[in-house]
Amino acid sequence: MSSLRAWIEDRLGLRPVAAFLAKKEVPCHTHTFLYYTGSSVLLFLGIQIVTGVLLALYYQPTLAEANASVVRIITEMPLGWLVRSVHSWSATFMIAAVFVHLLGIAFTKAYRKPREATWLSGVLLLACSLAFGFTGYLLPWDELSLAATKVGTNLPKALPLVGTFLTQVLRAGEDVTGDTLSRFFIMHVSVLPLALLAILGLHVFLVQRHGMSVPLDAERDKLELPAIPFWPNFFFREAAVWLVLLGVLLTIAVFAAPGLGPQADLMAPAPEGIKPEWYFLFMFQTLKLFPARILGLNGELVAVLIMMAGMAAVLLVPFIDNRPFERKGKVVTALAWAGLAYAVGMSIWSLL
Amino acid sequence: MNGRRRVIAAAAIFVLGALVAAGLLEARVQAPAQASVKPAAAAPGQEKPAAVRPARERMAVYVVLAWVWLSIAVLLGFLRMRIREADRVHRMGLVRAAERSLKGPGL
Amino acid sequence: MKLPASLYSRRAFLNGLIGGWLAALGAAFISPFVKYIVPPTREPDQVSVPLADYQDMAPHTVKGFAWGNKPGFLKRSEAGDYVAFVGVCTHLDCNITFIAEQRRFFCACHEGWYDEDGLNVAGPPPAPLRRLAVSVEGDALIVKRPG
Repeated sequence: MSSLRAWIEDRLGLRPVAAFLAKKEVPCHTHTFLYYTGSSVLLFLGIQIVTGVLLALYYQPTLAEANASVVRIITEMPLGWLVRSVHSWSATFMIAAVFVHLLGIAFTKAYRKPREATWLSGVLLLACSLAFGFTGYLLPWDELSLAATKVGTNLPKALPLVGTFLTQVLRAGEDVTGDTLSRFFIMHVSVLPLALLAILGLHVFLVQRHGMSVPLDAERDKLELPAIPFWPNFFFREAAVWLVLLGVLLTIAVFAAPGLGPQADLMAPAPEGIKPEWYFLFMFQTLKLFPARILGLNGELVAVLIMMAGMAAVLLVPFIDNRPFERKGKVVTALAWAGLAYAVGMSIWSLL
Repeated sequence: MNGRRRVIAAAAIFVLGALVAAGLLEARVQAPAQASVKPAAAAPGQEKPAAVRPARERMAVYVVLAWVWLSIAVLLGFLRMRIREADRVHRMGLVRAAERSLKGPGL
Repeated sequence: MKLPASLYSRRAFLNGLIGGWLAALGAAFISPFVKYIVPPTREPDQVSVPLADYQDMAPHTVKGFAWGNKPGFLKRSEAGDYVAFVGVCTHLDCNITFIAEQRRFFCACHEGWYDEDGLNVAGPPPAPLRRLAVSVEGDALIVKRPG
């Protein structure tokens, strides 16, 4: 066994990596539990890839066959319903984990210098995850997913100049058709995975490069925090967290398996009670609130612009909050809490 | 500590037992009525629920789920032991001492 | 018998326990999904075709029918009854065809030949064509797996 290890070492030369991982340490403080959030995202991503490949073995991404192939998967293939249920629930869990991870980083201001690039890549990863959710939602091609996709791809139209073009790019034309399905499928299984893995590589590299960030007071008061080694102490704790998450995911997937609506009909009127996936609810509700015209401008345009400004603020928060230890830092924190309250409040309102 | 462990063990056995019992009852009720897979009836315009699966498969899934939770409990126990061992070794400073001795005396 | 020193360190023992149980859990978990990956595509137990389509066949002629996912051939014999073959070459699974002038089945992949009774007469096929049992029931021809 050790001769095999020596053979690999001679050819790959990974001893510096192994040495680095052996020395890696994780600081201990009241917020240490937040360090588990990142790897939880990774766990759910892995599950998505595996279940996604399994689903793609039988899914047929054409207008005629998409819905029928999903029906076949959940009724005929052994445990197909479970594979689909796990994929659907793990998507929710993964995006929830991404949000928890983002909030943890934001409220501990771990994006401060020198970790700005880590935050930027992280926000790009959030965008990728949401894009995964959006593109995947259309693939079963049932009434609800068609309606949600029509609404979602209509949003860019509000923008001047590029709006119509963007919508046409998303939809492969003026309307949502079989071409849209093909486009969303290849985005979901090829383009987005490649992009996500590339950005994730950068993100993980940066995290290892800078080490774990410590809470603000520890850095400000220059406290020497106790630390535990990543291997094996922190890793086995992480494994325990993973096991519990897996158990919860599997249980929910077994008892709350999603069904499938009737096949989408391009000519039919929109079904009642359409709503997007939960992570888009607050945007959906915001759009519903805006009147048709504001101060002479198109109401939807104003809404889209405000949402884009919010997204830009999230992306650039390390540069906005460039003085995290001073009063400006506290103001940004208060605004972040307000933003969170807004998103949660809007989401709950949209369900009532 | 002992009393709390007993309560947790009892609760776990109760939940696992309930899962297995539910599976068995399901099988007994479903087996005479159902010979093969029946897709659930869907009202027009309503969402089709996940298809009714054959009884044997449902019971198998419940049993596997119970086994998964049992395994998770056992593995968490093993992991706790392993973590305590790792923390004990870390507190002893064995690794740091080894590095120090590698560097040579006087350092 | 008490050993002077333990065979394994506590660390290694616990690692082994964790790894072992995890492997068992993984295996129990993954084995049902093997069935998902390789679903059973069984041949049909029997196929029914309308007798009317095959009634006017001359002896020593062959007409096709669908045997599940594979082609099937019905041959009218001299006596007037039917013989059914699975139209798949026994060499490497290519679909075969019937050359009426020669009264032989031909496989284009490697030039295998079968006579009109399905016996492999030339080329690489190692065995005769698979036969199926045919019976007439009312206005339908029932083709079944033999035995």
